[in-house]
Amino acid sequence: MPNSLSRRDFLKVGGAALGALTVSKFVPPRVADAARTLGVLDPNGDGYIPTMCEMCVWRCGVLAKVEEGRVVKLEGNPDHPNSKGKLCARGQSGLMNTYDPDRVLTPLIRVGQRGEGKFRKASWDEALDIVSTNMLKIKEQYGAQAMIFSSTHNLSQVQFENLLYAFGSPNYGTQRSLCFNAMVTAFSLTYGIEEPSRDYTNVKYILLTGRNLLEAISTSETSNLIDAVARGAKLVVLDPRFTKTASKATEWLPIRPGTDLAFILAMINVIVTEKLGDCEFTARYAVGCDKLPNHVSFYTPEWAAKKTGLQADSIRRIAREFAAAMPDSLAHPGWRTSNFINSFQTERAIATLNAIVGNIFEPGGCLNAESPEASGINLGKPTQPAYPRLSSLRLDGVPWKYPLVPLKLGVFQELRDAVLTGQPYQAHGWFIARQNPVLSLPDRQKTLEAFGKMDFIVTIDIIMNDSAWFSDVVLPESSYLERYDPLTPVGSKVFIRQPVIEPQGEAKSALWIYKQLGQRLGLGDFFQYQDEEDYIRQQLAPLGYSLDEVRLHGYVEPPAMQKSQEITFNTPSGKVEIYSETLANAGYPALPTWEEPPSPGADQFYLLTGKVGQHTQFGTQNNQLLHKYEDYPRLWMNPEAAEKLSLKDWELVEVTSEVGSVKVPVQVTPAIRADCVYLTPGYGHLSKGLRTAYGDGVSDSELHVTYVDPVSGGQALSQTFVMVKKA
Amino acid sequence: MSSHKNISIVERRRLCEKKYKKHNLANILTHWFNVGMWALLLPTGIAIISSPRLGLSPVWMQELFRNMFGGAANLIKFHYTLGFIWGFVLIFNILVGFRKYFVPFAVKRMLLDKDDIEWLKTKPLQMLGMMKDKTLPPQDAYNAGQKLYMYVVILGTLGIMVSGPIMAFRTIFPPLLKQIAQPLHWVSVFAIVAGVIIHVYMGAIFPEEKEAFFSMFGGKVSAWYARAHHEKWYWEKMQEEMDWEEEVARQIQESSKSRPSSAHSQPST
Amino acid sequence: MADKKRYGFVIDVSRCIDCRACQVACSVENSVPLNHTRIWIHDQGVQGTFPELSRIFIPYNCMHCEHPPCIEVCVSGATYKDPDNGLVLVDQEACIGCGFCVEACPYDARYLNEKRGVVDKCNGCIQRVEIGQKPACVATCLGGSRLFGDLNDPGSDASIALKNAKSVFRLDVEGKNIDTDPNIYFVNAPESLTSLVTSDAFKQQGKAVPRAPEYTISEEGWKKVLIPAIAAGIGASFLVQATYFTKQLIEGEKEFDE
Repeated sequence: MPNSLSRRDFLKVGGAALGALTVSKFVPPRVADAARTLGVLDPNGDGYIPTMCEMCVWRCGVLAKVEEGRVVKLEGNPDHPNSKGKLCARGQSGLMNTYDPDRVLTPLIRVGQRGEGKFRKASWDEALDIVSTNMLKIKEQYGAQAMIFSSTHNLSQVQFENLLYAFGSPNYGTQRSLCFNAMVTAFSLTYGIEEPSRDYTNVKYILLTGRNLLEAISTSETSNLIDAVARGAKLVVLDPRFTKTASKATEWLPIRPGTDLAFILAMINVIVTEKLGDCEFTARYAVGCDKLPNHVSFYTPEWAAKKTGLQADSIRRIAREFAAAMPDSLAHPGWRTSNFINSFQTERAIATLNAIVGNIFEPGGCLNAESPEASGINLGKPTQPAYPRLSSLRLDGVPWKYPLVPLKLGVFQELRDAVLTGQPYQAHGWFIARQNPVLSLPDRQKTLEAFGKMDFIVTIDIIMNDSAWFSDVVLPESSYLERYDPLTPVGSKVFIRQPVIEPQGEAKSALWIYKQLGQRLGLGDFFQYQDEEDYIRQQLAPLGYSLDEVRLHGYVEPPAMQKSQEITFNTPSGKVEIYSETLANAGYPALPTWEEPPSPGADQFYLLTGKVGQHTQFGTQNNQLLHKYEDYPRLWMNPEAAEKLSLKDWELVEVTSEVGSVKVPVQVTPAIRADCVYLTPGYGHLSKGLRTAYGDGVSDSELHVTYVDPVSGGQALSQTFVMVKKA
Repeated sequence: MSSHKNISIVERRRLCEKKYKKHNLANILTHWFNVGMWALLLPTGIAIISSPRLGLSPVWMQELFRNMFGGAANLIKFHYTLGFIWGFVLIFNILVGFRKYFVPFAVKRMLLDKDDIEWLKTKPLQMLGMMKDKTLPPQDAYNAGQKLYMYVVILGTLGIMVSGPIMAFRTIFPPLLKQIAQPLHWVSVFAIVAGVIIHVYMGAIFPEEKEAFFSMFGGKVSAWYARAHHEKWYWEKMQEEMDWEEEVARQIQESSKSRPSSAHSQPST
Repeated sequence: MADKKRYGFVIDVSRCIDCRACQVACSVENSVPLNHTRIWIHDQGVQGTFPELSRIFIPYNCMHCEHPPCIEVCVSGATYKDPDNGLVLVDQEACIGCGFCVEACPYDARYLNEKRGVVDKCNGCIQRVEIGQKPACVATCLGGSRLFGDLNDPGSDASIALKNAKSVFRLDVEGKNIDTDPNIYFVNAPESLTSLVTSDAFKQQGKAVPRAPEYTISEEGWKKVLIPAIAAGIGASFLVQATYFTKQLIEGEKEFDE
């Protein structure tokens, strides 16, 4: 398909599409009726419908209790490996997400200025026409690449990507560079998988660098960790804050931010020098272990002590304990690890640390180099024509500026910056789905400026979140309790997300929206499914199950495939690459190497970020149930530092960084290093359409400076330094 | 006014046979309606109060009534439903007859005067056998004791009628009012109970008041009873009678004037 | 006696991570209004000086006491201890929402639902327990901290956890004259904190937990002023009546009245 449509083509395809379409005629059977026929609900329409949560990315299985067409309670599905019958606070609050009084339930078209919040209701027909007209106009005038598509990964991502590729734009923004680029890139290069899964069944020694598992909750993993600790496993936590995870740790070390790398390297030094590792394993399955002793000889515990601010004896002792517990010792890969530019090296070091004690792939071992998502289950998908060739560069610099960053991760903050510079070309449109870049990208003044450069912005969301507030068109998606999403393999099972209640208002599923939009964009051939149920049937086709079978229990378990017993790693050498040729070729250190992180000046603090168990990033602050049980977000500061600044608990302070400043009450607590302050992200919403969240707290994205790790593209969120004074 | 003790036996007999109407049908029905409702409301009310700290009713009674009605909630619903019926009927009766009956009654019969105060100082002692030679001051249709009882009943009933709905309409009233309503309700009821003990004794058991008891059924008391116990009322009744006689006579005269009468135009033979 | 259940909670303090899933689950399951809660998670705060720090979380709700002060003051009979399972329950049909019990509870475990005009509190999710489910807070507890079951049954997982506990304490303070005999047992708290929680330092929203039962002015006035007054009044009435009746009996009645 040519990059630019001729006028005639457009009219031919677009016109026909518009003519043939009213809002899609398919009306799925009423949810309750269908569930009754299936036997999931009793004749009164009461019962539990199995589906999946979407309050965070862990996506626990949920049994939704339905009474008279309303969801009244959510329970964890005991058959889902991510929940094992439990739901966290956010999962339990899920029905307030669906019944939030601030739900957007009709398509909205902006009538005032961007940010005024003045919208008028429109029909789907009108809204979709406006969106497709504008997108095609941009495509015609500037090329498909002028249209940015960004979405935080979710179960309909595959069709989002389908739209993106079919449209022909290379510009794909995800949240990943704000999250785990460092880990994913490092582990891809070292083990050949994005993220090794963790097994706590036999673990005896756990090292967490950050990874505040008891507050950044991943239901089953959080429970497993607590079980392990209760069982007697030793938990060592490196964190500049005394988090709730640290409070359960056997040992908490208040490490200087950015120096976890030194700690891990010193541990490797001890293990290698004292020959405590599993050399048999590394000899068989790893590359480059022989180069380690020389390479890490400089990284002694004494050296690391100076860098981290911790005791050399502790580092040495922990290294020995860690090795002694092998192979049941686990150095957790972490999650949102892209805190510092050197985080990539930290992740490489963690991967190496695990490898040298051989805890990967051991039967019952702690790490599995099989990605949690790799199941060997092959789902079908609708056929589609070949995608148009992409001829323009990606605005986010992958791979021409960042050669090692995987394409599906991207560097989102770079994409935003490219909008501002207009280099290598100017973007003109932004399509946002299930994402809130206004709050998540660092330096939100810049993001709003970038919005200002757009000719057209459309957002798909369920509530009037900040990015929707600044958009030109808002398309209402149905909430996760109201819709189908594509099937998901989890472990050995295939799970479904299915509607539990009728969608409220005019809200529609993402699958429907993408298809409708696709058809209006002349890309109907790429969306070869009639409706959501048809899509899922096509997914099920190779497995031989019917839709009803999956819907009945919420999942099916295809017969397990025979996995080869041979242990291989998906790396160029087929082994664990402690020494990475790929890195060497790209001009980066081939072995995990120390990189000095920046330090704050005399009057400055590290600005730390983190998670709380009651919220998920930037999307749940409007949920009234979670709002009820949250802690008011204040700036954490150590009493010593507070005294120097003559600050008292709850006093209003002004926090200033290179790019912005906020006013927030201070929380004087010993639970943080004296050179650090901390702010919980996700607050300071700008949208007045969020009546519960608006006015609550301040946004750290107003303070964050954009720093990009050249290797992994990760946004170094903790490298921002701030000054604090009385407001 | 002279003491009734000086009246001759013959006169007494005549007065005994003469009847005056003390209570009209409305009064009688309302009175017994009240008695009947209280007979149900009081025991159920007592059975409801289950606070061990206050210890106001025996546990066996609470359990008995709960079993009878199928639970504490049903017992309470029965009690306040009955309470609302009782209240509604009473208020209706009073309101309907308010201007014509109740207000004059209140003004004429309920206020204490000098005689009443004097009576209150003397009568109780006389009943004990003291102060035999002192003459009691004359009383109106209701003696001072009965007037005091009226006050207790009216205040108590108001207390019950205000506090009851506060507890029954629990979604409307704030907790503080409901907290006050409970002791208010209870004290109103039992203040009346204290009065009832004497009221029942005086009305039904005390020998001098036997006529009074039956008047609560037939509505009538003898003139002798009135002369003896409610002298001021007796004279009022006498005056009424005389006025009535005069009126009748006058009307007969008038009607005979307007008609040709054989009595007046009879020819002499 | 052996057949009677004694439902209670055993809470492993070392496992609670203050995730508040229990609070949210309970709110949803039991339609708790947004301005009230049935469950609290006590957080004494970060203890110690940097970097020797500790922090512990103590979730609690109605203790379903063996000697509940709330039942002592309930006038309408709405609050009662279920004879079959030991739970302290509120019959919200009978409750008039006066709030005497709210003041009396040493744990401030009860609240007044303004809209419905009744008192509410943890009911052990009896509606779930009856159909074989665990209470909402227990079912969803990520840390496995909350256990619920028949403490009279040595085989229940709550009883077993209690038996195997390294340390046990209850919020029942001798010397404070608060003898409620509560049925929430906290286990495995570190030694340093056991004494803390039984001291005056354990406060929730400014009030000590547990605190001595409080009585409203109305209730105290009722008990201490009105009851004696009425008792005196009825006693006097009765005496008066009895005196005259006795006189009447002694003197007899004249056949022909006067």
